[in-house]
Amino acid sequence: MTIERKIREHLHEEAQTMECPPAISKRIEQSYSHYLQRKRSEITMKKRLIGGLVAAAILIPTAAFASPVVIDMLTRAPITSEQVKLDEAGKATLEKLYRAIPETKSFEIIEASYLGDPNDSTKKVQLSIVLQEKGGTGKKITLHTNGITDEIQDLTQENWEPKEKALITLSDQEIKGKVDQLIDKLYGNIKDYEVAMEQMDNPNQKTFILNYTKKGSEGFEGGGYQVFVQGNSISLSPVAPEPNTGVEGYFSLNGKPDYTADSFLNDEKLFALLKMSPKELKEELAKGKTVVEIAASKNISKQQVIDVIARTQAEGQLQDGKNKVTISDELLKQMMKEIEPKVVHVIEHKTETEWK
Amino acid sequence: MQNEEMYQLLIKMKEGDQQAFHTMYDATFQDVYRTVSFLVDHKQDREDVMNEIYMQMWTSLANYDTNRPFQFWLHGLVIRQVQRFRVKSWRRFRIFERIRAFSHDESYLDEHTALMDGTNQMISQSIRELTDKQRTVIIFRFYHDYTLEEIATLLDIPLGTVKSRYHAGLQALRKNIGNLPVERMEKINDY
Repeated sequence: MTIERKIREHLHEEAQTMECPPAISKRIEQSYSHYLQRKRSEITMKKRLIGGLVAAAILIPTAAFASPVVIDMLTRAPITSEQVKLDEAGKATLEKLYRAIPETKSFEIIEASYLGDPNDSTKKVQLSIVLQEKGGTGKKITLHTNGITDEIQDLTQENWEPKEKALITLSDQEIKGKVDQLIDKLYGNIKDYEVAMEQMDNPNQKTFILNYTKKGSEGFEGGGYQVFVQGNSISLSPVAPEPNTGVEGYFSLNGKPDYTADSFLNDEKLFALLKMSPKELKEELAKGKTVVEIAASKNISKQQVIDVIARTQAEGQLQDGKNKVTISDELLKQMMKEIEPKVVHVIEHKTETEWK
Repeated sequence: MQNEEMYQLLIKMKEGDQQAFHTMYDATFQDVYRTVSFLVDHKQDREDVMNEIYMQMWTSLANYDTNRPFQFWLHGLVIRQVQRFRVKSWRRFRIFERIRAFSHDESYLDEHTALMDGTNQMISQSIRELTDKQRTVIIFRFYHDYTLEEIATLLDIPLGTVKSRYHAGLQALRKNIGNLPVERMEKINDY
């Protein structure tokens, strides 16, 4: 017998006696469940991110996203810094800011405006204030406050770090520390939250997204904060708790779940109208039907479906953090009309086709 | 299991399908465990390496070359994790050199080698006494039946290097096993 054969036979024989201890399998299984947990919260965050960007595009005029139609219907009226100080929401906002970051007391208000309902001057949707440090360092802070509830919906802090050592060049730990501090000062209770920091696929500019979620809850179930760090600025906004209803990925694309339409279709009123559970709706869509076709089979008109979804979407756009802003019925109808084309697109979409 | 089937399972597993994970794990863990056991001596270390290998499976799926057999990709993961572990353990060894010097010999033999008869124990021992580099080549050549070219690809080293490790390893084994007393050799020749 050659030595080669001897070795081969011996190895196979010896291998037969080796049994993988159950403890190892157990541990690997645990690693896998940890991976899944992390992955699930990422999905929720990505979904949330899409929603967040839409909201930002609609309500935050300074955001660099394409301006949607809805904003045109609300009018933005400039106000003076004196008016801000006299206004209730303005006063409350400034007080919060001064308490959180005392050095801003010496800043001057360089810009302020109200976003309102042109049909009803008492309906103030959003107050925006921009403050800047006097002198040359360029520290700047932009606030968007809910005009009715005083909640700060969005805060952008710019140039707090020296130019030669901009925020984005700091270590992940340092960036996180700065953001932690900002949230803690403004909203408190940072200890109740845990953060996931992720670099975004942004080829033009390094951007981090930090998702602060309530400890022990999945995704933004219990609310939280979403923060973007880019260049020398921190942009922070609170996230409303997300009810854990509906299903994920109503459509699929290239064999993967497609979350694009989820924010439109996860609508309690739509489920009620169709008399279907989210799961049933997903199953029907998976067969290649459109929402319109599914509705038609139940004698529900396309317009009824549009109206339900458009209303939820319009109202959703007027909602921030935890509170709702009310506007005149007339304006709401207008907004619904503007959103209609998007809704039609979603409800006429079939799974496994490209989104236009 | 077919490559394509395995790949689909991996994708499902990555997307969170627990059933796919179990199917994949059941199909692979014996092979992976045995390979790791041949290459890594300490029990606790094997556990760590195994865990790392499977974690790599769901994080580095993007590197899977679908033109190659699944087994090949899997063994690539095994080799890389074993090598990573060796680098780490070498550093540890420097620090705990003395402590380990005492416990070292003992750890070579665990239950299954203790159950073997003298001759087999000797072959086993001889393989374990090879250098790590030689041992890796010997295990993949004789346990997994890879060609030397395939081993070169797996290890990402030139074929010439694989050949010299292979011959040196075989030489060392021949010396040890060839020195077995005559009556023991007969026993081996029996099967």
